[in-house]
Amino acid sequence: MSTAQQQDNAGTTTVSTPSDREIVSERVFDAPRDRVFAAYTDPELIPRWWGPRRMTTVVQEMDVRPGGAWRFVAHDPDGRALGFRGIYREVSPPERVVQTFEWEGMPGHVIIDTVTFEALDGRTKVTTKSLFHTTQERDGMLASGMEGGLTESHERLAELLAEERGGR
Amino acid sequence: MVQYESHLDRAFAALADPTRRAILERLGRGSATISELAQPFGMSLTGLKKHVRVLEDVELVRTEKVGRVRECHLGPRRLDDAERWIDGYRQMLDARLDRFGELLQNTKGEQR
Repeated sequence: MSTAQQQDNAGTTTVSTPSDREIVSERVFDAPRDRVFAAYTDPELIPRWWGPRRMTTVVQEMDVRPGGAWRFVAHDPDGRALGFRGIYREVSPPERVVQTFEWEGMPGHVIIDTVTFEALDGRTKVTTKSLFHTTQERDGMLASGMEGGLTESHERLAELLAEERGGR
Repeated sequence: MVQYESHLDRAFAALADPTRRAILERLGRGSATISELAQPFGMSLTGLKKHVRVLEDVELVRTEKVGRVRECHLGPRRLDDAERWIDGYRQMLDARLDRFGELLQNTKGEQR
């Protein structure tokens, strides 16, 4: 891993809550906008990045056009499966995708995600605005992220420590 | 790797322990001395002091010597739920987007 890449990966995501029903995240990727958009909307690439590392994601449906449906199933190492689904509302390459997001474990709680891709001199800023139906649902999502974030960072810390042990 | 040493990550590591979370909850209801804190956990003063030290290092707890006892208060780094949730959510998202960033790096030559 190059130093530059490490820096890119080092906590560059920003998260804000501009209103009581929204979460907005921003992250800059070191790749041109066309490629970022293509990777983001390619069903073959989804299993390689979507969801936490410990899960294996299977794309069951991904019809990237307005009105088209998507459904991913994430399998954890203990054999549990979590289904996620939604509908594409707007697909404007290479600038914008608007889609709904629903975890099948909480049916009816639908989030509207607006993802914008902004070209920055060879790099690309990806902004995701998630609009929730209620403040309660938004706060639930933030709280669940707390759990997920802890788990994930513990895993990564464990990986790091294992690497350090191997290096000695 | 610098990223694991950030204040935020240390704060998260400090919060990963249930005893330390319970200490923060207790201090949220008001200040307490080390022995007052140790009592409900059935823990030795030395053991409890270690936990308090970890929390103090990341400014979640502040202590001061008052006469012969050490008083503990919540620290300057306020942890209201929203802030904690946003930090946690950001970390989760950051880890996931790392994967997307790696994918973009790894597929550089493959497409187009």
